[in-house]
This record gives sequence, structure tokens and C-alpha cells, in this order.
Amino acid sequence: MQLAHAAGTRARRAVTPTPLLVLAALMLLTGIAGGLYRLGAMPSAIAGTDWLGRAALAHAALMIGAFLGTVIGIERAVAVKLRSAWLAPIASALGGACLLLGPVHAGAWLGVAAAALFAAVNVVVMRRQPAVHTALLWLASVAWLAGNLLFATGAGSEAVLPWWFGFLVVTIAAERVEMTRLMRRRPAAHPLLFGVLALMFAGAAASSFAPHLGGLLYGVALAALACWFLLFDIARRTVATKGLPRYMAVCLLAGYLWLAIGGIGWSLTALGAPLRDTALHALGLGFVFSMMMAHAPVILPAVARIKIEFGRFFYVPLAALHASLLLRLAGGWFDASLRSMGAVLNAASIALFAVTLVGAAIAWHFQHDAPTVQDILHG
Amino acid sequence: MSIVDVGLVYGVTVAHGKIHLRLTMTSVACPVADVIIDDVENELDRIAPADLQIQVDLVWDPPWTPARMSERAKIFMGW
Repeated sequence: MQLAHAAGTRARRAVTPTPLLVLAALMLLTGIAGGLYRLGAMPSAIAGTDWLGRAALAHAALMIGAFLGTVIGIERAVAVKLRSAWLAPIASALGGACLLLGPVHAGAWLGVAAAALFAAVNVVVMRRQPAVHTALLWLASVAWLAGNLLFATGAGSEAVLPWWFGFLVVTIAAERVEMTRLMRRRPAAHPLLFGVLALMFAGAAASSFAPHLGGLLYGVALAALACWFLLFDIARRTVATKGLPRYMAVCLLAGYLWLAIGGIGWSLTALGAPLRDTALHALGLGFVFSMMMAHAPVILPAVARIKIEFGRFFYVPLAALHASLLLRLAGGWFDASLRSMGAVLNAASIALFAVTLVGAAIAWHFQHDAPTVQDILHG
Repeated sequence: MSIVDVGLVYGVTVAHGKIHLRLTMTSVACPVADVIIDDVENELDRIAPADLQIQVDLVWDPPWTPARMSERAKIFMGW
């Protein structure tokens, strides 16, 4: 048997971005370390180190821009198959490294360059396929650019974070909108989504000069977006399947609940309630990391060329993440030590997920590559 | 549901010692296309006679629409 376009296959596989993936993983690890340091949950042996102090200051920039921005940039570069598209994730990863190593301004402006390059890549995507979901992908990249420009010019977190989370939330919304095409088109779905996203961007923009009003609008929009997902997403149907599609649907539905909690928390924080940790981490961990756990078994084979054998064990880190987040946010309300413990368990859940992926890759290898008894017997 | 149910397979021809399969994706931003093509090639490799070449092309014209979904897929998705 010959594959007639073997050369084409090699061309498709020309780029396996291992160094970039390693750098993205480092951004994740240091971002998590910085977050734990903020809560006083790091071992004293490394607690005084310079890089950890910088990681704590740049926790959100590392998690959102340097880690997720790089991973999303890699994902898009793999899809568009343009060499220049790799410049965006390279810039975001190097920007994160600068934030850790000391040249913070260079790091912030590399983030601006990364987002601008990424927006240009999304223009290419939009031109290749003019559609609602590709327009939303571009809009998401513009939100990232806005957040990075504010960060580089020294704006406060209440101005920057709505744009950074907007980047992630709209990227996810774009991907879900694309999947809703499998369902019968409901006339109200798109106008409602556009209304919710307009409110979200109005809230993000207002957060720079009227943080109370901006935060209130932004949080309401996030909660409304969660309702939109629960009403219109295909996850409510695919949860009735089995195997990987069911697991992904469970991740998505749980994530939508956290998105609603994050939105409510964001609005209440803007009104003065002490719910900042709830707003940020219901959104960042409960929603965004749930989405990441949903898509990793599909995306990792695409970007790292590693095959994954899906199994029920994937539910263990997912359950651990949601249980530990509940402990952190609900328990933390009563006792600060529960918040720290929850945060450590959040990190452990992510580590467990990484171990699960490694185990699933080894399992695939044994299922598909290992010689069978018959192979051995027949030489 | 398979990729055939979703309507991603535009056609398969067997002629002149070659299996030629045309495949699309629902989104140009989908990074999984190469993985799906690899899987299709491997499945064809498994079932096709050994003397046939395999060619899988990713095409975007005509664009995918939900009208391409099978009845089974539409029923499952609540159409």
C-alpha cells in the first residue's frame, strides 16, 4: 500500500513545536507557582527567589497571555499552515519569559506584538472562511491586543483583566458557535449572542474609566453568556453519548456553571463584595481550564503529534479540579486557610491532568504499537 | 456519529489504481484536520487492497453546510 501524497503528509507534519510547547508548559508551571506564592502556599526554600516574586506579580499575564495565548497561537498556526503564524506564539512565550526573568517592559511589549500578530493571523482565517465564528476569533484576538496594550502602558488590573478574559471567553464562544451549526438554527441565537458580547465589550471598555459600572456590566454579560451556552450549545445533546464526546460535554456543562458564578462574582465585586478570588478563578479555573481539559485530548494529538487513548480516568482530574475549586471559593469564604488549601489542590488537579495525558499517551502506544502475542509467536 | 454522518466526506472514487477521497472540515481554524486525515489514511490502508494507492485531499469548495449531515445525525442533533 502506498500513500499517494506522502510528500504532502510530510509537509503537513513539517512543524512539531516541541520547544514552544515546553516553553508554554514552563509558563503554566511558573504562573501556577506565582499564584500559590500570592496565597502563601509555596515552600520556604523557594519563597524568597526573584523569579517567584516576579511570577507572583505577573500571575495573570503568565496564565492568560504566556500560557493560554501561546497554546491558542500554536493551535491557530497549526490550522492555517503559515510559517509567519508561528511568530505570534513565539512572541507570547518569549514575552512571558521576559516577565519572569526581569525585563518586564520588554515582556509586556512582546505580548503586544504577539496579540497584533495573532490578530493578523485571524484576519487570514476570516478571509479564508467568512463566517460568524471566524469573525469572533478575530474579535477575541483584538480583545487580547487591547488588554496587552493596557498592560504595557501600565493600566491597573481592573482595566486589563476584562480584556484578557474577553480574549479567552470569546475564543471559546467562537468555537462553540461553530459547533452549534450541527443543530437546527434558532433565529434568536445569533442576535442574543451578539447582544451579550456587545455588553461584555462595553463593560470591558468602561472598566478603564468607570470600574464599578464596567465591572457590573461585564459580570452580567458573563452570566448571560453562560445562559446562552446552556441554552444553545450542543453539549446538552452530546452529554447523552459516550466516551470522549460525553466527557467533553461534561467538562463544557460544568464550565458553563462556573462561568455563571464567575459573572455573578464579577458584578458583585464591582459593587463592593469581597468576591474577587471567586470572580477570577471561577472564570479562569472553573470555566477556562474546564474547556482546556475538554479539548486537550483532541488538540494535543493535533499540535504535539501525540496520540491519546481516552479512558474514564480523565474524569478524575476533572472532578478534582471542580471539587478543589469549590473548596477554595466556598471554603475560602469562611476560612482563609481553606482558600490556600483549595488553591494547592487546584494546582494538584492540573498536575494530575498532565499525568493523565502522559498515561493516556503511553496507553495509546501500548494499544497500537506494542507487538501482539501473535506478532511475537510468528516472528 | 462518524465524519460521514457529519457530511465531511465529499466523495470517494476508485480508479486507475488509486482510492481518492475528498474531505472537508467545518472550520478553517480547526487544528485537528491533519489528525483526521491521518486517521482516514490509516483506515483506508487497513481495508483497501494492497496494490491501491491512497490519496486524501482536504477541500474547502463547496463549503460545508448542515444540509450535508445524514438523517441519523440530524435526528440525533434534534432537527
